Amino acid sequence: MGKAFDPSLIVDFIPTLIYYLGVTLQILAASVLLGMVIGIAAAILRVFRIPVLNQFVILYISFIRGTPILIQLFLVFYGLPAILLFINIDISRMDALYFVIITYALSNGAHFAEIFRGAIKAVDYGQTEAAYSVGMNNSQSFFRIVLPQAIRIAFPNIANSIIGSLKDTSLAFTIGVMDMMGRGETLIAATAHALEVYLSLAVIYYAVVLLFEKIFRLYENRINRHQSVDVSVTG
Amino acid sequence: MTIDILFIWTAFKEIIRALPITLILTIFPLLAGFIIGLAVALIRIYKVKFLSGIANGYVSFFRGTPIIMHIMLIYFGFPLLIDQISKKFDLGIQSNSIPIILFVLTALSLSAGAYLSEIFRSGIISVSNGQMEAAYSVGMNSFQAMTRIVLPQAIAQSIPNFTNIFIGFLHTSSIAFIVSQKEMTGAANIVASTNLKFLESFIAAGLIYWGLTIIAEGLSFLIEKKATAYNRGGVQ
Repeated sequence: MGKAFDPSLIVDFIPTLIYYLGVTLQILAASVLLGMVIGIAAAILRVFRIPVLNQFVILYISFIRGTPILIQLFLVFYGLPAILLFINIDISRMDALYFVIITYALSNGAHFAEIFRGAIKAVDYGQTEAAYSVGMNNSQSFFRIVLPQAIRIAFPNIANSIIGSLKDTSLAFTIGVMDMMGRGETLIAATAHALEVYLSLAVIYYAVVLLFEKIFRLYENRINRHQSVDVSVTG
Repeated sequence: MTIDILFIWTAFKEIIRALPITLILTIFPLLAGFIIGLAVALIRIYKVKFLSGIANGYVSFFRGTPIIMHIMLIYFGFPLLIDQISKKFDLGIQSNSIPIILFVLTALSLSAGAYLSEIFRSGIISVSNGQMEAAYSVGMNSFQAMTRIVLPQAIAQSIPNFTNIFIGFLHTSSIAFIVSQKEMTGAANIVASTNLKFLESFIAAGLIYWGLTIIAEGLSFLIEKKATAYNRGGVQ
């Protein structure tokens, strides 16, 4: 079991590991932004029941929600090069980081789509009618009136989903990405102080999650500032 | 690299043999977490002195760190602790004689406890206070009112959340393969690397997880219909 437990190492490891927090946040930011685009597009296809694409999105969401992120990671890592080889594109030497971003974007996209769909449905239909009555067309009323309100309703769930995604990025090291967790693995290989490394990683992840929660709460208060009091009191 | 469709079926048969371990890694932590979660939720709701501080810290920490951290910390931490205690009290227990799966189960149980406590808490809070008052008015004490009136309603309402947690932990059990447990993902990995057919194996594993998830969702829908049968007034 390596060497004796040395608590002072926990503090010593933090600077080395936090240096790789950037990679973790990079995966998170890229996958959340891409996921947001996929999610909104998929939610629109679902809400307006576009034929064929609607069924495809149902299948996509069901698959993503039905399989572990680890399996999705392996499927993208081994599957995407195989599929792209059919059209003569060789990406088998691409940096593992991109596979991770694609996987998490697809995963976030499915979760966001469900959240947005619920939120769009939660917007009162009277809003659309009011938009029509002032002369907006379909897409104007959707993008200017319904969607902004849906995003406000969806925000708490999106925030939870992002935090969940941050914790999921800790699995990226399984396909060889050098994020915080990956650096932790190499530190363990070099020093044989596994417990201390994992404790410092836990401290960093915990601190980042707490910070994110704080930021999201502030932002949520901000976007809800125009809501009437009786709504926010119950919350 | 071409896709060998037939091998997916071969891999499927091989991987599904690891299903019992996956189910143990899912169901046992949830049962243990059910007890931990209920206790923690009650401690937090009644704001029990001293304990509620610990309960808050526990829930916050376990929900704020990735589950792989819990597995790794317990996997590396507990043997150290057990050896120390064993040496001190001369118990003669060797940490390396304890199967790894017990460490994984402990870690997952603690995580499940934290996640389930939040579901219990929101479920209990969502039961109207009038129910408690009505129970008092017919002469029940706090304990009776809680166990006979509030908890059954809280649990019935939380069934969709419990299903989400069940599916979440079914998927989380795949992390156990990192500490070389031969559950379904571990089995898929072995099948993949012995035959050098990675994509096919993980497709097979993905299909099994997907099927299990759909079954779980269907069951939950049936159970929910039965458990909330009392609640037909109002909207429906």
